[in-house]
Amino acid sequence: MTDHDHDHDHDHARTVAPMVDEITDFEVLEIALRELCIEKGIFSADEHRRFTEFAEQIGPAPAAHLVARAWLDPDFKELALAEPMTASREVGVDWLEPTGFGTPSDFTAFEILEDTPTLHNVIVCALCSCYPRPILGNSPEWYRTPNYRRRMVRWPRQVLSEFGLELPEGVAVRVQDSNQKHRFMVMPMRPEGTNGWDEDRLAEIITRDCLIGVALPKPGRTANVITDTRPAVHPVD
Amino acid sequence: MAPLQDIVERNQVWPRMAAKYGVSNPVPPWKTSLDGMCDALDHAVCDANIPDLKDRRDEEDSLTATVYADLPYPENQLVALAHSLLTRGVIDETELRERLASVRARLEA
Repeated sequence: MTDHDHDHDHDHARTVAPMVDEITDFEVLEIALRELCIEKGIFSADEHRRFTEFAEQIGPAPAAHLVARAWLDPDFKELALAEPMTASREVGVDWLEPTGFGTPSDFTAFEILEDTPTLHNVIVCALCSCYPRPILGNSPEWYRTPNYRRRMVRWPRQVLSEFGLELPEGVAVRVQDSNQKHRFMVMPMRPEGTNGWDEDRLAEIITRDCLIGVALPKPGRTANVITDTRPAVHPVD
Repeated sequence: MAPLQDIVERNQVWPRMAAKYGVSNPVPPWKTSLDGMCDALDHAVCDANIPDLKDRRDEEDSLTATVYADLPYPENQLVALAHSLLTRGVIDETELRERLASVRARLEA
């Protein structure tokens, strides 16, 4: 390393993160599978590239802005609840063609579930792991686990408490089961202590977990809950 | 599934590799490419014996809870996908083994 390089080493925040300097078997396997599928004509390299580009750029930011805007603008809130696909387009997500060349496996109908003082919504996909990816990005690992999917529909309060969310008795919990044709996200209530905040500031506290329904927005909390994922108690034989 | 078993035994999983090289990325760099492959497979329209979305996910659940229970995510997802494609004869074991060797040789060249 030269002195010149060393002088710039302190500036890690603005440099590319270090990467593993070893070719792993898993990296090789991913490439091998992909190449074989392409050679067999199952999908093209171009299709794969475009699906991957889509997966790389999506995240929960549009959904957070959608909710923040709805909190600030009653007309937009009405639109979001009545015509969620139209409201999504206003925050940059076109559900009809999210990748620009056809849809990933996340289509086709979208609905926004509004929390009230007496009703809390949470989403799950009991069948597999359907998730509103075009507007929320990729699902967290725990959302995909059989454990979450199986237990959330049966014991929602218990599972929510494992995320640190204890709901009062007077609040009903509605678990909405996603499926291949229908996707949902939660519109949480605006928390106290956010008077005068603008859309960007509000969006910071509307985390992915809030939009799934396993957390509530709270001033000062801008990160998702970290949970230990556990294997299923009774794994499939 | 000998080629996959060999991979599991070598255990070059991301948490271990990342710790070894001081990398902070939470998931390996091939993760979004795997996502792209799963989406592309789910949308594949062809005569091959490709599992549909539900079958692929069900098999992934089953395999990651049993045969590949010791692997972290997303390594378990990748290996389960390979297992499904091998079981269905979409890819055969010999061609996978040969391809693994040729890809590695190319990357290490």
